[in-house]
Amino acid sequence: MNHCIVLFFQFCKFSVLCFGGGYMLIPLLTAEFVDREQVLTMSEFGNLLSVAQVTPGPVGLNTATYVGYVNAGFFGSLAASLGLVVPTILIGCSAAAGINRWKDTFLVKGMLKGTRLAAVALIMFAVTIFLGMSVFTRTIPWEALGALFKFELPVIPDDFRVSPAGVLICGVTIVLMLKTKLPTTALLLGSAAAGALLAAWF
Amino acid sequence: MEGMEIQTLSRTRRLLLLYCSFFRITALVVGGGLAMLPVIEEIFVVKHKLLTREELLDMTALTQTVPGIIAINSAVYIGMKIGGVPGALAAAAGAVTPPFTVILIIASLFPRLDPKNRYLLGVFSGIRACVTGMILVTGCRMFRRTVKSGLECAVVLVFFVLAVMKVSPALLILVAIPFGWCYVWWQTRRLTQAEQAADGGKNPEASSEPSAETSVDPDKDGGRGK
Repeated sequence: MNHCIVLFFQFCKFSVLCFGGGYMLIPLLTAEFVDREQVLTMSEFGNLLSVAQVTPGPVGLNTATYVGYVNAGFFGSLAASLGLVVPTILIGCSAAAGINRWKDTFLVKGMLKGTRLAAVALIMFAVTIFLGMSVFTRTIPWEALGALFKFELPVIPDDFRVSPAGVLICGVTIVLMLKTKLPTTALLLGSAAAGALLAAWF
Repeated sequence: MEGMEIQTLSRTRRLLLLYCSFFRITALVVGGGLAMLPVIEEIFVVKHKLLTREELLDMTALTQTVPGIIAINSAVYIGMKIGGVPGALAAAAGAVTPPFTVILIIASLFPRLDPKNRYLLGVFSGIRACVTGMILVTGCRMFRRTVKSGLECAVVLVFFVLAVMKVSPALLILVAIPFGWCYVWWQTRRLTQAEQAADGGKNPEASSEPSAETSVDPDKDGGRGK
């Protein structure tokens, strides 16, 4: 029960900090559950997000329900989902009616500017997390990059390789997103099928 | 509760409509967030005429301004507009029910999601690669919309490096808010100084910036908020 209360407040925090859409949850969730509490491994988190992405419904809610379940079963899911919703309702009931009047004030403008810049950086960071699970075979070894700055030879781990299937699917997705108006559902299902086929091939 | 008068639908019908519509939207729309927008327009603007198109556009800008998941934000604000606080609760409950049930069923089937089957692994890695591409495109679109100068680009880079160095993302966002205040203050001060120097000279670039930022074109970011 205590665990569920903690989960509820954790997700309240994520909801309040989530400026700029559901993808912002990725760095927040990995920092909390993969790096700090270690209730999930990075690859489990990646699989979980894949499921959340292909099932209907907003990715943020799907992921919250899933992470809640992994943490504390049914009530964990409930606590996580409520945690995402309650702050939004509170903010909505108190501020929403007036925010269009306030949006040109200094306080709101500054907050938006700052959080948007941070959101862009964090979404790019989410991309690097995902690159480590798709295009590369393990998390990007940033320590090696750091060594380069100290004029030392970088030590790249042996299992850090480029995955040809990952590069192919990721590249095709980017091209299709930029050049066509295919719905994301089609892209996701196509990629799932391509992934299974390529797994059979190699 | 009795204070509010209803013009076309009775109060309970309205709440029921909100619950069922958002239930339908999150149950059927894969991706969520802004992908919900056309469906919302069809139900609330075209069919039931409870919102005008302008109200919906305002609402879209608003849902991306306030923190929170875009899908829940839309449910709460549209619910508020149509049915007050009970409306917001009904719409939010409707939006949460389907993903909650579906994911709960999946989660109880595979609690740890660590497949051994080669093809299932292939399916997962395929989706992950696809998601990588989708987030990358979304991030680049956001970057283009948000970052307007070299200085802002440098700020994004600093935040990125801090995130890589395992600084907590929550802390980064909290730091970003006062930074934004300082930045906007500095920008306005520089602007007024420039205006004084140029004797009320025109500066269209800076004055158009806030409006371009707040009214985001929904077409441009169809891939966002999945």
